[in-house]
Amino acid sequence: MATQYQNDKFSLKPWFIQFISRYWAILLFLVVWQAWVVINAFNPIVAVGPFAVLSDLINHPEIYLSNMFITFVVALGGLASGMILGSLLAIASWFSRFVSAMLTPLAVMFASVPVVALIPIFARLFGFNITTSLFVVVVITFFPSFVFTSSGLRSLPPGSEDLFRVLGAGRLTVLWRLALPAALPNMAIALRLSASHAVLAAMVAEFLMGTTGLGFLFAQNLERFATERAFGAGLVATIASVAMFLVANAIESHIHRRWT
Amino acid sequence: MPSNRWIKNALPGALGILLFLLIWELLGRTGVLGLTWPPLTSVIATLIDPSKTALFLRATSASLTSAGTGYLAGGALGLVAALAGHLIPTLQEGLSRFAAVVNSVPPIALASVFLVLMTTESTPTAVAAIKVFFIIFIAVQSGLRSATPAQHDLFTSLGTGRFKRLWLLEVPTMLPVAMSGLKIAVPVALIGAFVGEWFGASRGLGVLILNAMQNFQISMLWSAVLLATLVSLAVYFILTMVESIVRLRLT
Amino acid sequence: MNNHQINQTQLSPGPLAGRGTSFIDFDQISKSFEIDGQKVVALENVTFNLSEGEFAAIIGPSGCGKSTALRIIAALEEPTSGTVTIAGQPPTQQSTEHALGVAFQDHALLPWLNVAENIELPFRISGRPVTAERIDELISLVGLTEFKSARPKQLSGGMRQRVSIARALALSPQLLLLDEPFGSLDAVTRRRMNIELQRIWSEFRPSTLLVTHAVEEALFLADRIFVLTGRPGRLLREVDVPFERPRTDDTMRSEFFHRMVDEMTAALDSTENAPQYAVESLD
Repeated sequence: MATQYQNDKFSLKPWFIQFISRYWAILLFLVVWQAWVVINAFNPIVAVGPFAVLSDLINHPEIYLSNMFITFVVALGGLASGMILGSLLAIASWFSRFVSAMLTPLAVMFASVPVVALIPIFARLFGFNITTSLFVVVVITFFPSFVFTSSGLRSLPPGSEDLFRVLGAGRLTVLWRLALPAALPNMAIALRLSASHAVLAAMVAEFLMGTTGLGFLFAQNLERFATERAFGAGLVATIASVAMFLVANAIESHIHRRWT
Repeated sequence: MPSNRWIKNALPGALGILLFLLIWELLGRTGVLGLTWPPLTSVIATLIDPSKTALFLRATSASLTSAGTGYLAGGALGLVAALAGHLIPTLQEGLSRFAAVVNSVPPIALASVFLVLMTTESTPTAVAAIKVFFIIFIAVQSGLRSATPAQHDLFTSLGTGRFKRLWLLEVPTMLPVAMSGLKIAVPVALIGAFVGEWFGASRGLGVLILNAMQNFQISMLWSAVLLATLVSLAVYFILTMVESIVRLRLT
Repeated sequence: MNNHQINQTQLSPGPLAGRGTSFIDFDQISKSFEIDGQKVVALENVTFNLSEGEFAAIIGPSGCGKSTALRIIAALEEPTSGTVTIAGQPPTQQSTEHALGVAFQDHALLPWLNVAENIELPFRISGRPVTAERIDELISLVGLTEFKSARPKQLSGGMRQRVSIARALALSPQLLLLDEPFGSLDAVTRRRMNIELQRIWSEFRPSTLLVTHAVEEALFLADRIFVLTGRPGRLLREVDVPFERPRTDDTMRSEFFHRMVDEMTAALDSTENAPQYAVESLD
């Protein structure tokens, strides 16, 4: 049947069945986790269950919030800057085929370099501070943004370039009215890909360098054997990462629907 | 001629890379960025220093082993999970969301958890596996769904059973997409291994890098990072070739 | 034959229009879709039947639901109301028994298989035994012997359609469905393919239903033609095609043929065919 392979959009299932079908694996994991901790009777230094983590979160929100705020600022700021810079460079190199051909392989290579391994170098170069964390996120976002925007600028609808030439459009008009709109879906894809990495990269940078933020919170409490707080930091970072991904995903879906 | 075209396309790219290397060298020579940016030549010198070769080789093989094992394990897990979700639609949503959440857990948190569950030596493998799992899961899942409605109609009209449809249509369609995923998962596996190593592993490139950073051994730091990067790029390059062969054969 | 006057709208039956047992019974079929929240009626109370061994064509303007009718017979869609039976069974029985051959509009060849392997596909799925000779037979039937190891991307549009037709005939199906198989071809190739198709069809004579918007094609190939109106698709009339088989280039050049083409084109054009819904084609 043809309909077998399409999503059932008009589901009439009651809300709790929908909830279970969406989150069963996550719930199962939490149950197993808690059971594992209880059964093994771990010393809290070694491992804690989800309840302990949650209660620490609820009882000491200020600590989490202040650190989360910093990590968020770094992640968002780095994400935005990286996207903007990457797109700008892509636009600038769009004007010259040669420059574009020169930079793209370089960018593709850098996009596949383990940036996390570069953090120690950045730390030694620019110091063990928040600017370096920001720089790390910028680097992680910059290269995919450049690669995707470049390819997007060149993936024009067939015949459109000829059309614009026939209409006597100048280079800037072509950029503004044709290439940039064509590039937008690709830019959105780059955004989606980088969004969840941004938070995680910021956290790793903070962890390595000992600057404030969720990464630092994590490291500090791991050292102190305050495992609930360390896991709590990890949990908050996970939620932040998921949230950013969902937002970026929504943006990308929206652009995809309206622009293609 | 195709080979001429290939050269014409590769030349500017090669030029770009050359320029980059040149700038690196100049920055180091002139000392503009201080001691912490050595010239390329001295980094290479440290790398090929015979007294250090054994060290680098041990570290590289340790990281490659953990990353490789994690890559295979995570890939296999991702494949199985995607197939399960595809064949049993009720499981699909839950699995996808779980995978997405697991992927969003910071690798450092993952590493600390695995430390509890296993040794410091297998933690890098586990972290790499988790990261690779998600990528392969998404790639296979998306690939299995990418057969066109017309192709599905063809199989329906031929009266095809579920498993024959999977094997004859959905799997061949999935392979090119899976290859892209396998390619992307390579640097990810290495990063996972490095992060895992930072939690107490005795060997590996991640260990070298961390120690060099903490002990202010600049040339060692750069050499280790360069080596890690080169290894990552080399494997990525190999997989890119495999990917184009697969695409050529199947599309 | 060529001197017939065309005053009557109902022409006398062609020599091969079997009046035997009804093979396909398409009874009061209606089909509507929901597109962007609007209900669109593709077919409205369409009734026709096809006898065994008969070659019928459905013609109509673009988007009138003729492909939908074909898809309902292929059990790829279910009607909103009405009943369809094929040899007294529901349409799904044909595919279950691997007795159905379909050539789709966009050929749907599998890009990772070559010509021979694509044609072999129905055998692999149904588990029926196949010999290399049988595959070679089918390949030469559509005139592609030198290309048996070529892959779809190396073939032209017309060649791909020929492979698609060979594949549709692979299991010697009871029922052959063709959904605008030559729609994307140029006029010259199309004409040639029509002649080829008639030749191929004459070898097996499966019950065949062809969907097309080209009047000449329908008149050349079919024994009977069902004319559908624009949205919603209603059966305007049935036409029995009087030309003797085998039909040739000469048949197509005859004045009688031209007059029939004109008459049917006019019928399709008339105001009662004006589409009532401003929606993209449902085909």
